[in-house]
Amino acid sequence: MIFSLILGFILLIIGLYGMLTQKNLIKIVIGFSIVDTGTHIIIVSIGYLRGKTAPIIDNAVDLANAAKQVVDPIPSALVLTAIVIGLAVTALMLSFIIKLYHKNRSLSISDYQELKW
Amino acid sequence: MVNPIYILILSLVIGFLLTIIDKAGRKLSLFFLYGVLSFNVAVMFIWFYQFAFVGRASLMIHTAGFIAPISINLKLGLLEAFVLLLANLAGLMSAMFLFKKLKETHISGLILYLVLIMGVNGLVMTRDLFNMFVFIEILSISTYALISIDENKRSFSAGFKYMIAGGITSTFFLLGIIFIYYFTGNLNLDTVLGNSSMLAMKTGVFSIFLLIVSIFIELKPFPANGWALDVYQAVNSGITSVIAVVNSAAILFVFYKILPLLPDQYLMVFVGAGIVTFLFSNLIGIKQTDPKRLLGYSSIAQMGLVVAAISYTTKLNISQDLVFIMAGGIFINHFLAKAGLFWITGIIKRSEIKDWGILRNNTPLLLLFGVLLFALAGLPPFPGFWAKWEMAKIFVSNNLYVGLAAVLIGSLFEAFYLFRWFGYAIKNERKEESLKPVDFSQLFPVAVFVLITLLTSVWIMIRVYAFDLINFLPVAAVFGMYLLNFLKAKLKAVLAIIVVILYGYSIYPLETALQSLFGIIFVIGSGIMIITTMNRKGKISGFYGFLLMMILSMGNLIIAKSFLSFFLNWEFMTIAAYLLILRGKKGQVPALTFITFSLAGAYLMLAGFGFMPNVLSSNAIINTIGSIEIPLAAMILLLLGFLIKSASFGLHIWIPGAYAEAEDDVTPFFASIFSKTGIFGLLLVAISFIKHSSEFNPFYWLGWLGAISAIVGAFLATFQEDVKKLMAYSSMSQLGYIIASVSLLSHLGWISALYLTLNHFMFKAMIFVAIAGVIHRTGTRQMYKMGGLIKKMPISYITVLIGIIAVSGVPPLSGFGSKWLLYSSMLEKGWYLQAGVFFFASGVSFLYLYRMIHTIFLGQLKYEHQNVKEAPIYFLIPQVIFIMGIMAISMFPNLIIKPLNSIVGNYFASTIMIDGYNVTSSLGHWNGNMVMMVTMGVFIVPLVFLILFNGRTQKVKQFNIVFAAERPESPQTTHFAHNMFSHYYKALGGLTKPRIQNFWNSVSEWSNAIAGLFRQIYTGNGQTYLLHILLYIVVLYIFLGV
Amino acid sequence: MSITTKALYVIISVIVATIYGLALNGVVRKIYARVHGRFGPPVWQPFIDIIKTHGNNVAISHGIMYYLGPVFRLAGGLGTYLFIPVIFGSVVFSNFSLAGDLLLVMYFIFFGQLGMALGAGEGGHPYSPIGIARGLAQMTTFEVPFALSVIALAIQYNTLNITTIVAAQQGSILNWTLFTNPLAVVAAMISLLGMNMHSPFSIVLAPQEIPIGPPIEMNSSFLATLQTNRGLFGAAKLVLFMNLYFGGAAHANIFVALLIMILKTFIIYMFSVFVGAAYPRFRPEQSMRFFLKWPTLIGIASILFVAYF
Repeated sequence: MIFSLILGFILLIIGLYGMLTQKNLIKIVIGFSIVDTGTHIIIVSIGYLRGKTAPIIDNAVDLANAAKQVVDPIPSALVLTAIVIGLAVTALMLSFIIKLYHKNRSLSISDYQELKW
Repeated sequence: MVNPIYILILSLVIGFLLTIIDKAGRKLSLFFLYGVLSFNVAVMFIWFYQFAFVGRASLMIHTAGFIAPISINLKLGLLEAFVLLLANLAGLMSAMFLFKKLKETHISGLILYLVLIMGVNGLVMTRDLFNMFVFIEILSISTYALISIDENKRSFSAGFKYMIAGGITSTFFLLGIIFIYYFTGNLNLDTVLGNSSMLAMKTGVFSIFLLIVSIFIELKPFPANGWALDVYQAVNSGITSVIAVVNSAAILFVFYKILPLLPDQYLMVFVGAGIVTFLFSNLIGIKQTDPKRLLGYSSIAQMGLVVAAISYTTKLNISQDLVFIMAGGIFINHFLAKAGLFWITGIIKRSEIKDWGILRNNTPLLLLFGVLLFALAGLPPFPGFWAKWEMAKIFVSNNLYVGLAAVLIGSLFEAFYLFRWFGYAIKNERKEESLKPVDFSQLFPVAVFVLITLLTSVWIMIRVYAFDLINFLPVAAVFGMYLLNFLKAKLKAVLAIIVVILYGYSIYPLETALQSLFGIIFVIGSGIMIITTMNRKGKISGFYGFLLMMILSMGNLIIAKSFLSFFLNWEFMTIAAYLLILRGKKGQVPALTFITFSLAGAYLMLAGFGFMPNVLSSNAIINTIGSIEIPLAAMILLLLGFLIKSASFGLHIWIPGAYAEAEDDVTPFFASIFSKTGIFGLLLVAISFIKHSSEFNPFYWLGWLGAISAIVGAFLATFQEDVKKLMAYSSMSQLGYIIASVSLLSHLGWISALYLTLNHFMFKAMIFVAIAGVIHRTGTRQMYKMGGLIKKMPISYITVLIGIIAVSGVPPLSGFGSKWLLYSSMLEKGWYLQAGVFFFASGVSFLYLYRMIHTIFLGQLKYEHQNVKEAPIYFLIPQVIFIMGIMAISMFPNLIIKPLNSIVGNYFASTIMIDGYNVTSSLGHWNGNMVMMVTMGVFIVPLVFLILFNGRTQKVKQFNIVFAAERPESPQTTHFAHNMFSHYYKALGGLTKPRIQNFWNSVSEWSNAIAGLFRQIYTGNGQTYLLHILLYIVVLYIFLGV
Repeated sequence: MSITTKALYVIISVIVATIYGLALNGVVRKIYARVHGRFGPPVWQPFIDIIKTHGNNVAISHGIMYYLGPVFRLAGGLGTYLFIPVIFGSVVFSNFSLAGDLLLVMYFIFFGQLGMALGAGEGGHPYSPIGIARGLAQMTTFEVPFALSVIALAIQYNTLNITTIVAAQQGSILNWTLFTNPLAVVAAMISLLGMNMHSPFSIVLAPQEIPIGPPIEMNSSFLATLQTNRGLFGAAKLVLFMNLYFGGAAHANIFVALLIMILKTFIIYMFSVFVGAAYPRFRPEQSMRFFLKWPTLIGIASILFVAYF
């Protein structure tokens, strides 16, 4: 669990670093995706309990002691929602980039600073 | 009762169906859109009504057939209903505003809009943390998408920055949620709150911090808010208004909901961050000229203030009503005004505030604009005013002085840029192009919000503070006169006089003679002065309303029964004065200076009143103030506020512009009547002080300040070419006399103060009215362009002559009485050097008085004034009335000395003896009547002698003078007028440098420079903004000090 | 006292003062002439001048205010004089000092100046307002040390009543303000130089550049009125100074008292005359600055001296 948690944070930081340093809009979005992924890994790893099985009631789980045998199902449920939302945001970002590229023929974030102060 | 969950369901269902419905035509889809939005409003209205007036308990809605915490639950209580009613209403109105846009745009626009509103409803009601995240994302994604409704580069790039910022903050939010879940094993807010002890350790606080700070970032704290500003500036006004108020309201409510998670000791960080945001956003706003970005700064600032208010009151144990007035007041004020103003920017579509002169082509819109702007600036009677009042009280009672100062300074910045904008709208050159007729669909939402603003204001005044009807009069007068706008000016003037008379009658009799004295000045004086304005032609819309507002609010000052009522009317008066100054041809800059200084004064007073106990009395405050001890800090703050109004030295730079650029027949009101309100205020403080004197006597220093005002005002007046500026500085000088004599805090001193007040009221009125007549005839204010007018305007000349004799203190007129009283009282008190300064000042006053009367009326008549006639009758009537007044009290000083003696007798033991007409002080004596008789005698004897024994008197023409046997070339070269006292100027040397002007100029420059410096952080680069956010979180966490 | 008696006394008082003032002017002209090495006009020249100018057949008038200017001026002189008690303890020469105190006198001085300034202004001659502008400006500055000195007096005697001030100085020459409060007297005497408008403070009249200053347009009876006032007003000022600083004039015998008055005022006046004869003229800004420097400081010192030591 702890490794995946650390991995999640590392991804998060790598993603943030990418977002802060890359000038290319698409690379920024990729950075954002990495951040997202890192977050998702963190969420899942928080729900993970060593030596337990997936929270699905099947043969592997004793119905009576289900709660003790499975990992916490809630983070897994949450992460699904988060992934969907992340996907939507990423898609929207990319579509904005396309629109921006059509307007300005540039993918550098430095070319979109006219609004300031 | 409709279960509010149907709002969510219906929105989703209709949202999905819209694509299909749209096949049947856009009209039908619009019908459904507006239908759902109206449904939302109706549902929330019903619930709000139920909670607020029927007293129903909050509603808990469980989903999925389980009760919380197993399932997600929603809550609808009074606050939720209130916020959602407003939010849904704004949603509906904004949709209406966007009618045209929604008609043309792709159907997805409608769907997104619907989903956005649904997200807001869900966000406010949900009690589940993860569900909050989902609704935030629904709200955000639909907002991101709607930003691109106008398909232009700016909105796309702003939207992209927004997405980066929003994406990252919601990631942090999610992390916060998951850690809270990790520590508490729950996602239900109420359950988590119940188990908050599980979060007490460092990591627990950190997870709460992550949760709250990411919501806080969504509320755009300074400086991590560049993305929001870009969005406000770039995006379609209808959408911006939704983002600025609806989204913000929902997010704010989330903040409010989760804030209790944070242990109390950490709350102050958010108070601080909110106030910093308020201060700095407003500071940077003063450099901004794009109206939408300007409103953006204002929005951010206001949200910061609400956050501060909410965070602060969470831990305080104060009544819920006060919290509602304070935090709710700021919130609703911001909500209504900001939405309305953003809509108006969408109607006007001018991206420079300088170009807003076009607004004047549409009077109704201008009025709506004005109301919203005044509301936003926190002026009464709008909710923001009451909020600040309560805030001052709460902050002061908890010793949060720095916070209060920051809030007030920020408010001043905000008022400054708002009124600058207003000034451009009212005064700047009207563009030839006419404003396109405004669609009803666009005007209607604005009108509705203005109406709600007004109703809320009235509701607060009646229900919360239970004000007498008389406090509404100033505003009622404006509306009344607006309705009667079709009448001719003369008729309106008569009407105004009648109103003033009726008003005077209704407040009569007053409790004390002191009140009556000021009643004479404020009410009767104004009534007489209105006659002057009857010379106006046409309808002159928007004049008499504000004039009446000023007069009535001044009257209300005298009878105000509480500090709040006093302050309310004080602000009314300031607003009216501001609008009257703004009417002048070149009134824009002076009016801005005036309102900035006045509001600075008002905020000082607000802070001062924060220290004062609540007074509940059926007597006027001026009579009960003696029993109240004003703390020293409050006293100094109040005195400063009043000193600004009475244009004391250092705070005087608004006076020349305001007096000079106000219309000529309005200036007398300012100079002779309005300026006395400051004196009334000083007396108010002084009466309390004499009953509860303290070790430190601020009035001693006030005495010096008065002396310096007197001499500096006189110097400044001496070197003016503009007659109105000359008289303005003269007012400053004369008010210095009054300030000093009030500060004497002695019997003779106060008689002197009141005598000076009354005297100044009369002579300043008559001089200014006479001058107004002269300017009316000659069309110039530059004195050297006039000359020799005595032959053309003899009555005006006599008025000015009597006026200046009364000013200068030459016996036998009433002015000498004031001088005699002043010096006697000063010497009696031991203020010797001050008296010396006053001797000097009164000597210098001869210079400017002579300059004025000589250059205008004597010397050489100019060719272009050969056909000038005497001033119109309406100017002469008030002059004659005031001449009679001056003559009466000069001949029979007892008419005034005796009443003043008895008024002041209420506060001090009498130190003078009045025997017949002989007044004896401890130092000397004065018999005004005898002086008058002797003077008349010594005047008549030589006159008769001259008439009888003179040789044949031969009248000669203008140029027949002993001019080295030459004929003078022209009146211009012969009239000694321009730069008359150049030798004096040279002699005074360094004393003539405009140091104070320079000081305030540099204050303004520095503010601008600092604002310019700070706004450099908004580079326009999305990555920088992201960096700001990350750093902000780190810094805030450090401040949290966990 | 009946009104007629009072009127009679006032007439006597005024006539005495006027004659004395004019004669004094004549003497001064003589002195100046001798200093300049001229023979000079006879002492009674001022009387001749008045009679001569008054005898003119035609008086040129520029308007009503112009006409009233000299009237104001003389009324100012008369009033100033009449509000001062001339001889301490004399009923005849007590004038209307009951009407007011020192402040009244100080302010009534302006009455004539203001009226005259306005009258001259209507004349339309540029030199009049030039002279007036200089005069007023100079006046504001020399009033400062004088006012300070008066304040010092008010502190010292705890009154502004001239009669009381004179009374306090009786008994011995050492009781005079001159000796009890020398700083105040110095300040006042310097400002007297300005008031009397002798050189170096004669820029107001400045015969070389603006011949005779404000009265430039005045002629015939108007001028005669002004000349009369010059005598009376000059006397009034001197009497005021005598009362305030030099013990006033008091003696059981009214004629002796008058003699004392004449002697004292003559000496006071000679101070101006000697300075005037000896020093060249200041430029306007020089004279104004002069008064605002040392005399003012001396005035302040006199107040501090009286009030705190």
